Amino acid sequence: MFLALKLAFRNLIGAGLRTWLNAIVLSFAFVMIIFFNGFLDGWKHQAVNDSIEWEFGDGQLIHKKYDPYDPFSFQDSHDKIPDTSRFLSPVLVRQATIYPNNRMVSVVMKGISPDQSIVKIPVEFLKNTKVDFPVIIGKRMAKSNKLKKGDQMLLRWRDKNGTFDAANITVVEVFDNDIASVDNGQLWMDINKLWQITGLDRHATYLVAGNHYLPEKYNNWTFKSQEELLEFLLEIIGMEKISSSILYMLLLAIALLAIFDTQVLSIFRRQKEIGTYIAMGMTRFKVMILFTVEGAMYSFFAMILGTLYGIPLFRYFTRIGLSIPEASQNAGVTVADVIYPIYTLKLILTTILIIIISATLVSFIPARKISKMDPVAALKGKLQ
Amino acid sequence: MQDRDSGSCWFTIIKMEKEYIIELKNVVKRFPVGDGLFTALNQIDLRFEKGEFSGLVGPSGSGKTTLLNIIGSLDSPTEGNALVLGKDISKLTHKESALLRNHHIGFIFQVVNLLPVYTIFENVEFALLLQKYTASERKKAVMEALEWVGLEKIADKKPDKLSGGEGQRVAIARAMVKRPEILLADEPTANLDAANAHAILQTMVKLNQELNTTFIFSTHDEKVMKYLNRIIHLRDGKVESDDLIKSKENVPGT
Repeated sequence: MFLALKLAFRNLIGAGLRTWLNAIVLSFAFVMIIFFNGFLDGWKHQAVNDSIEWEFGDGQLIHKKYDPYDPFSFQDSHDKIPDTSRFLSPVLVRQATIYPNNRMVSVVMKGISPDQSIVKIPVEFLKNTKVDFPVIIGKRMAKSNKLKKGDQMLLRWRDKNGTFDAANITVVEVFDNDIASVDNGQLWMDINKLWQITGLDRHATYLVAGNHYLPEKYNNWTFKSQEELLEFLLEIIGMEKISSSILYMLLLAIALLAIFDTQVLSIFRRQKEIGTYIAMGMTRFKVMILFTVEGAMYSFFAMILGTLYGIPLFRYFTRIGLSIPEASQNAGVTVADVIYPIYTLKLILTTILIIIISATLVSFIPARKISKMDPVAALKGKLQ
Repeated sequence: MQDRDSGSCWFTIIKMEKEYIIELKNVVKRFPVGDGLFTALNQIDLRFEKGEFSGLVGPSGSGKTTLLNIIGSLDSPTEGNALVLGKDISKLTHKESALLRNHHIGFIFQVVNLLPVYTIFENVEFALLLQKYTASERKKAVMEALEWVGLEKIADKKPDKLSGGEGQRVAIARAMVKRPEILLADEPTANLDAANAHAILQTMVKLNQELNTTFIFSTHDEKVMKYLNRIIHLRDGKVESDDLIKSKENVPGT
């Protein structure tokens, strides 16, 4: 094997530009696969962390009727907060309408305790104010409704009996965040105020669990762990990975096709060389191994090339991150303004392994022909 | 000359058979051509002693190269037996054939077939890489082989920098570096001018005498024939004549 490696190395170096062209194409596939996977890993890492910090905490105790994707479920999905609910922060969800700038916009009111510290919603703005009816909103909500800090507007809601009521609210803070589900169409307010205006005293739609919460069973409430809550997000990222992998496969296929082509051509173009190897006492199997190793070695050259321009590129993006278009951030999935790719050793080693195995396989397929080669015809260069 | 060993004395037969390193018995080689078969070799019976400097002579298509390929275990006979160093070529596996070629048989081709990406040193060294020699042993053997052919000073050059004669000398060094018992040369002077051809043949004669290597040429070059001590004429795949021309001592250049 050492001999095959040595000879393959010499042959590839001797082949000059042909080798480097193949290696460049393959290195591009290398870098792109690692780059995009690093980007997706960075997104996943950021999205999971942000979702936990801003929304999910250590899990949620959710009212059985509550479906965050069905606004009609909000009306009845609430109940008294369980008495033994320590380390839980209650959130009451109700539908309402606001009238900013003479427009009518349906919103979701979310009452949250101004003393909670489980999620990162900046609740301190709700208590450190002299405003009569303070609310806080996220930056997406502010942008889509052209709202800013200090703006006032009419809020209309229905109380527990279905009676409409209205009041003027004041935006006391527009908070920056990366979680569309705590931002788009959401109006955060003091839960005590929401209890008061709806008459749903000590009711909640869900309760966010803190670090020390131990799940208990309550009627009408279901506990969803952090993993269960993250499932949807991870599924989306997983799907994104699958769709991105089509791109990698295309890239890899192009690179591997180049190697395959080179190897097929080599076997015909280098017939006399193969015949000479056999005449000098190399077994056909060894010649086949030599050509397979040559093909596999393209991946090593690609790795070296990829390292040369890939590492500075990865380091650059790890430092400055990748800006995400606003449209993607408003799509309802947790995406930060800037995603910092994460390049793990596992990702790099897996990519290297995949490429080496693929390159070896595509080299082996044409190299198998050598095992059936007639050395006499090969020496004369007469094989078709 | 054919069957020249068929003596009556039992002791002589045993003794002489030990001397033969190549024995071809009723060798027939057929190739498929279109729907039929072309007989390239027909009932060849030949024996070669160790240290012979022989040539297979004949027009194109007479079966010279086919016979060399069978002796070199690159091909096998359709019928008959080809025993090389006591091994029946037809019964060897690919691996055994490769081992036989690697350790005992050297080839020189009409087109030198040097590996273009290797230096002259590395081209000559190649055969030894397949055997278990240390780097220093290889270096010593390669430099010695290059000295035989007078190319030791350009060992670091690539083959594309060599003239035809130099290339053929490298091919000789490459074939001889492992000191094979048999050296098969297929039209080695076909692409060379007279001066280079003579120089190369003289090198071969010298090696034949110093190392007692059996040389078998395939040729129709008059220049080569002058050097041979045995000429086997082939025509249409058959041995037409097998003549002992002269003793080694009378070979030009010795």
